[in-house]
Amino acid sequence: MLLVALGALVAYFAARAPVFLSSQELANILADFCSLILLGVGETFVIASGGIDLSVGSATSFSGVIGAFAMKALLDGHQNEAVVLAVGVAVCAGVGLGIGLVNAALINWARLVPFVATLAMLGAAAGMAIVLSNGEPVGLDPRAISYTTAKLGPFSYPSLVVIAVVAVAWLTLHFTRYGRYTFAIGSNEFAARAAGINVRRHVVSVYALSGVLAGLTGMFVYMRLGSGAPTAGLNDELQAIAAVVIGGASLYGGVARMSGTVLGTLIINTVTSGLIISNIQANWDQVAVALLIGLAATMQALRPGRRR
Amino acid sequence: MAGQAVLYEAVNVSKSYGSVEALIDVNVQLHAGEVLGLVGDNGAGKSTLVKVLSGVHPPDSGKLFLEGRERRWSSPHDALAEGIETLYQDTGLAPHLTIGANVFLGRELLRPGLLGRLGFMAQREMERAALHELAQVGVEVKGSRKTVSDLSGGQRQAVAIGRAVAWARKVLLLDEPTNHLGARQALEVLNVIRAARDRGLGVIFISHTLPHVLQICDRIVVLRLGRVVRDASTSEFDAESLLGTITGLLEKSP
Amino acid sequence: MKQVHSAGLRSSRASRRVGAMAATALALASIFPVASASAQAGASNLKPAATHKLVIAYNMGAEADPFFIAMYIGAKAEANKLGVTLVWQGDPSVYSPSTQIPIAEELLAEHPDGFVISPTDPKALQPVVNQAIAEGIPVANVDTHVQDLSKVLTFITGNNQQGGAVAADAMAKAMHYAPGHTYEVTVGMSSPTTTTNTARLAGFKAEIAKKYPGIKIVSEAYSESQPAVANTNVNNWLTKYPNLKGIFAIDGTNAAGAAAAIQAHGLVGKVALVGYDAYANNVQLLKQGVFAALIAQQPALEGQLEIQYMVKFLRTHSRAGIPHELTLPNIVLTPHSPAAVLAKYTYPTA
Repeated sequence: MLLVALGALVAYFAARAPVFLSSQELANILADFCSLILLGVGETFVIASGGIDLSVGSATSFSGVIGAFAMKALLDGHQNEAVVLAVGVAVCAGVGLGIGLVNAALINWARLVPFVATLAMLGAAAGMAIVLSNGEPVGLDPRAISYTTAKLGPFSYPSLVVIAVVAVAWLTLHFTRYGRYTFAIGSNEFAARAAGINVRRHVVSVYALSGVLAGLTGMFVYMRLGSGAPTAGLNDELQAIAAVVIGGASLYGGVARMSGTVLGTLIINTVTSGLIISNIQANWDQVAVALLIGLAATMQALRPGRRR
Repeated sequence: MAGQAVLYEAVNVSKSYGSVEALIDVNVQLHAGEVLGLVGDNGAGKSTLVKVLSGVHPPDSGKLFLEGRERRWSSPHDALAEGIETLYQDTGLAPHLTIGANVFLGRELLRPGLLGRLGFMAQREMERAALHELAQVGVEVKGSRKTVSDLSGGQRQAVAIGRAVAWARKVLLLDEPTNHLGARQALEVLNVIRAARDRGLGVIFISHTLPHVLQICDRIVVLRLGRVVRDASTSEFDAESLLGTITGLLEKSP
Repeated sequence: MKQVHSAGLRSSRASRRVGAMAATALALASIFPVASASAQAGASNLKPAATHKLVIAYNMGAEADPFFIAMYIGAKAEANKLGVTLVWQGDPSVYSPSTQIPIAEELLAEHPDGFVISPTDPKALQPVVNQAIAEGIPVANVDTHVQDLSKVLTFITGNNQQGGAVAADAMAKAMHYAPGHTYEVTVGMSSPTTTTNTARLAGFKAEIAKKYPGIKIVSEAYSESQPAVANTNVNNWLTKYPNLKGIFAIDGTNAAGAAAAIQAHGLVGKVALVGYDAYANNVQLLKQGVFAALIAQQPALEGQLEIQYMVKFLRTHSRAGIPHELTLPNIVLTPHSPAAVLAKYTYPTA
């Protein structure tokens, strides 16, 4: 179903601008996909567990800025490029992890609903990213940019890492006990607890995962731009949630498909790039995504037997 | 059953939710191979007592003894590990998961070897084993790939009971097991409970359907406003006196 | 007239989103060790008038905005030189009248000798300005102005329309524009409602219409304050228009996204990228030739002149030599600009 929608979109844009089917355009869409999909993957786990994480966009910005400060210090000290990138990945992931753990603490122990807890984090992380960076991109790393160019067909090396992470996440959500517990908690938290599942610990891990993936997104966007931008992930939480919902997930929890999230993300990326390529007024981008969400939500509601 | 050792016991258990005293100084003894009826009006404290016994809520005061040893459950996980299985009223299943996933929830079978150590589940085996286990305890469901939300109320109840009976090793706590069931299904459930008792399990049976209670229970405990008001062999009750004790209209014991 | 400045965080969407949780951000920012203007400003207090040292309260749009940070540095240096006390205060990151009004009122409650403000909204801040004037406190506007400028001492701002025009000139020069040829160029903006963006675009288009008939603007796209989106836009342009000759990155986020795309595609020197705002990073990229030109505003000079004029008026009680409105030109920087010029116009950071 989603595949049909994606195919139709690609056909439409290709008809308007044949260059849309080029390998170069595939590389463009792939770079965009990799900037969003990990947020969608994390959000898929969170939404499957019956929660929501509004902080992933600003976690992307904040971790990218902090990671950029760390990498800038190393670059200024003429550190080996591999060391710089490794430290960047670790710092970004670590900052994301911290954000996820604070979210989980607010939800589990301060008893805030996920919407409020992660909304507070959204504001805090976005504000800190701007204040700490003075509103300017941090660092200047053209070597990082060179790594994000297409090397194997349309794939860059970082994009292969991202795709591998998505594959592992897909296996984890749908084939492992971890994924099963995630769905069980989202489907009926009491039933999960009564079945002996440590719900609190699992919720901590889900938000931590979402945070780490946002951190890695921060690193990916850093590499794309060659700097840590304080607005790198601005509004991306909404795009990620949109992708998950378009992919067939229920915001009430218990229902989500990783393949759906992947296709939902691709659809959003295709619309964004397709509108530019076919030179349609860019403001339609938001309208198009909104329509897709509305359509997905309607299909969700009409699907029999999937309501609580 | 009087001759047999006490299997599971609550001593002077109290539990409040805010200002509501749900259980006040409750004493209940359950023996192996016994079906103990737990009856009372709405709000009498039956479900709260089940949740204390199953480890969902710790008691505010009082103690729990399993096979003579004092136990403090920090979560349902602890009680499950000790062979105490519970059917909760209406809320025990995850509707979006398949029947097999629900039967094995918290006890997933993992694949052999490395994949298993990475947490990969043996999904097909679980689905097959789930149907088998349910059939063993007399619950027939077709098509294990169905999610619980696809089932009727009666089928869901059957799966939930089947799961509890299949896994129970010592104690079976059943909160309204005959809810949502037709007359014929209800009789089947009563048979399943008898079979469990005959395996030597201690069963606590909660129901508003007094004929079922009188039919299957060896002993009956009556709760009213959080207190035990009567604890006697079923032979000491008839339908009228049981109802009278529950409502409090019949204060004196016969 | 411009109401919203170019830098990403002052674009309407960004500030609204960040503003939603301003309280949390403030709370967390305050416990974080931050080396920024906000920390310094927080430390300063209104001095009692007993010392007869003049106190000038300065209320800008958003303290963490690099544009205002540069303005602070210019203002602070001038205040030190003239021996007056500068009280610099604004919301750390939110560019909005709802956060600005209480801060402005608080500053006025301390009865400063002079008040400089860059109103985040021309109507919403008018009452605050009227109140100050009624209390005998002279008011100056900077960057943006209130609706009624008649009683305002001076208003100093940059000229975005002229900046757009010189951007067109710089781009044409970088492309070696010759009549009779066609040059495809694109424009990256932040959002369709950012007024500085539209002023710059208008100036850019007018200059092209006047002087460069061969330049065709084939596409305009929005970044929504996200450099990664700007990057995507440029990537797509480069796919769609293989002969693209120039890109006008009209604000900071577009500059960052476009610079990365040009580098990733190995098109440095082949596509004339003209960017806006002389952030240290951008100037570095200019020196490397990634930008063919950068258009710089003069925030530090704006801050310096505001203090200079205000102190002059307070000491002489005369408007002589104080322009009622002053528009500073935007400056074109190129890789060939002398190092001293680049250093002069690079926005200073705290």
